[in-house]
Amino acid sequence: MTNQLSLQQRIQMAFPGLAAAYSVDGLLHYRVEKSRIPELTQFLHEKARGRLALLFAVDCRPLAEKYEIQYLFAFASDHPWVLLTIELAGQDRLFTSITPSVHAAQWYEREIRDLYGLIPQGHPDLRRLVRHEHWPKGTHPLQKAFPWNKTIGRQQADYRFRHIEGEGVFEVPVGPIHAGIIEPGHFRFSVAGEPIMQLEVRHFWKHRGIEKLFEQQTLSTAIALAERVSGDTTIGHSLAYCQAAETLLHIDVPRRARYLRSLFLELERLHNHLGDVGAICNDTAYALAHAHCSRMKELLLQLNDRLTGSRFLRGAMAIGGVTKDVSAIELSEIVALLDGIEKDFAELESIIFANASLTDRLETTGVLTERTGWDHGVVGVVGRASGIDQDVRRDRPFAAYDEVPVNISLYRYGDVRARLRVRMDEIHESIRLIREIRANIPQGPVAPAAAHRPQPGQWALSAVEGWRGEILYFVMTGEQGSIHRCKVRDPSFVNWPAIQWAVVGNILPDFPLINKSFNLSYAGNDL
Amino acid sequence: MFRILKKSLKTGIVTGQHPHADQPAESPSQAVCEKAMPFRQSLTIREVDTGSCNACEMEMNALANPIYDIERFGVHIAASPRHADALVVTGPVTVNMERALKDVHKQTPDPKLVIALGDCAINCGVFKGSYAVTGPVDRHIPVDVRIPGCPPRPAEILKALEEIRRPASWK
Ligand code: SF4
Repeated sequence: MTNQLSLQQRIQMAFPGLAAAYSVDGLLHYRVEKSRIPELTQFLHEKARGRLALLFAVDCRPLAEKYEIQYLFAFASDHPWVLLTIELAGQDRLFTSITPSVHAAQWYEREIRDLYGLIPQGHPDLRRLVRHEHWPKGTHPLQKAFPWNKTIGRQQADYRFRHIEGEGVFEVPVGPIHAGIIEPGHFRFSVAGEPIMQLEVRHFWKHRGIEKLFEQQTLSTAIALAERVSGDTTIGHSLAYCQAAETLLHIDVPRRARYLRSLFLELERLHNHLGDVGAICNDTAYALAHAHCSRMKELLLQLNDRLTGSRFLRGAMAIGGVTKDVSAIELSEIVALLDGIEKDFAELESIIFANASLTDRLETTGVLTERTGWDHGVVGVVGRASGIDQDVRRDRPFAAYDEVPVNISLYRYGDVRARLRVRMDEIHESIRLIREIRANIPQGPVAPAAAHRPQPGQWALSAVEGWRGEILYFVMTGEQGSIHRCKVRDPSFVNWPAIQWAVVGNILPDFPLINKSFNLSYAGNDL
Repeated sequence: MFRILKKSLKTGIVTGQHPHADQPAESPSQAVCEKAMPFRQSLTIREVDTGSCNACEMEMNALANPIYDIERFGVHIAASPRHADALVVTGPVTVNMERALKDVHKQTPDPKLVIALGDCAINCGVFKGSYAVTGPVDRHIPVDVRIPGCPPRPAEILKALEEIRRPASWK
């Protein structure tokens, strides 16, 4: 691959003497001195146009007395990922924050501080993120010495919100419990009249300790947990987890199973996008479109139930393949249903866009500019609506996407309408993909062959384009098939901070609409 | 306008077009049915998520779609706990949500029902034991009705709500 050489060469030219510790197709791994991390990350981000895709820590005890911090950068589609690793040996608890030059690092570094007690020096905002203020000092649950089932005490303290002061400026607190049936989160608005001057998102109410729970599982038992990271993304998360486990276990997934994985993933995308299109219209008070969309969504959920016994396709993924084969008759049933839905939905689309009072609410509302999106490393539907051309299905094909390529829909305006349009286009595209899958699916087994047992300390990264966007998993093995570390990154985690910028200047009553057009997961963010 | 009418006519009535749920394994106790007496004609629900994976919420939302259309059974969703007759709680209770749950319970006027929806709310499900989870809902507030499932299907939720609101003489 010439491009791989060129990125590697560029790094070599800028930093002579830095050698890749490890390089496989699609990944360059460097172990570097911790003092060099700011210049390296700045180079990768600014010069090489890399997106900080993931930043996390690993407590290597008991294998080695050290912490590791890993920085993953992703580049344009035909370049490999670059992973940088630094070590904090022994009692060392300090590392240099890269947030001043790579803005997307800000939540990650605060998260590392909360969960590991490592201090990002020079970070502009060291308030707590995951641990709310009432957690006692010194509670760092992902340290290996911290028991997974420890009972946490309570202390008195308050979160310091950012304030804007001045005549006529008011603060509007919303949440954690909201008016609709939605997940808990807190939004603090500073408004002058109706326009929003500032929004501060305070989340992690639903923190359930998922990454620690993964460490109590073995490689083969953890799928059920991955399915429940964010229930609406059951397939996305379980597939990302399974792919990482398969790399560790050296399992080749049979071709038919890869096609079925794509099928399930697209079915999940479809029902969620249909729900979102309806919900966005509903937030402009256009109940008719909502009723039609939720009717179509329900048809798909009932289909899922018939196929797998679960409306959310729970239990469909397995390490090495899928648990359920889908017969030719079922495949024709799926395609027949989708043909109907596509026609049905196309009619609805023309009704929606013929309604000027509706489209008027969508246009120029909640604009996320490409620049702001890039600074936050925004991914998925939200990114593609702001001109960020990124889709794991095309950039790093997994499942059957190398044989059934996807067409990406890209918009530039970054407003609610663009996010709606991306979803609508993807509904048509998913239906097309499923037709392709049916036409090309090979015969063969869907279950895995026998597996190896991995050595402790091996790791794997995996990426899946869920319906919200890029889902990343990093899985490291421990003794006897256990999991030493599992880092989960739902697209919501990177997209939430960006919403704070998309609402500025909009009126407060438009916030629910903007929020719906992002439709991020609280559960997947809070872990 | 014409397009909308045509669409509505073409679609027809879809309400009730779903597989029906089996009878729940456990029928509600006499005490619960008595407590539910005042809400037989109309029941207003406030949903509280204390740490679910959000699939339980999706099924609660599905109840309002044209296929289940829960409003025709006199069940409404309220925006505030002060307007609610019943709390539907989903998810294990996380350390961070414990206080909010207790507050909501206090804010809900008596008499009230508490419905634990989904395995997590009943016994913490896969999140059991975690440092960040303080226990199932009934550790913090008294629970009247339990609807198991991961997540329970909308038809199962409908059935359970129907069971508790059925007059004793019909049983
Ligand atoms: S019971 Fe199941 S579906 Fe409901 S919140 Fe828990 S894990 Fe999610």
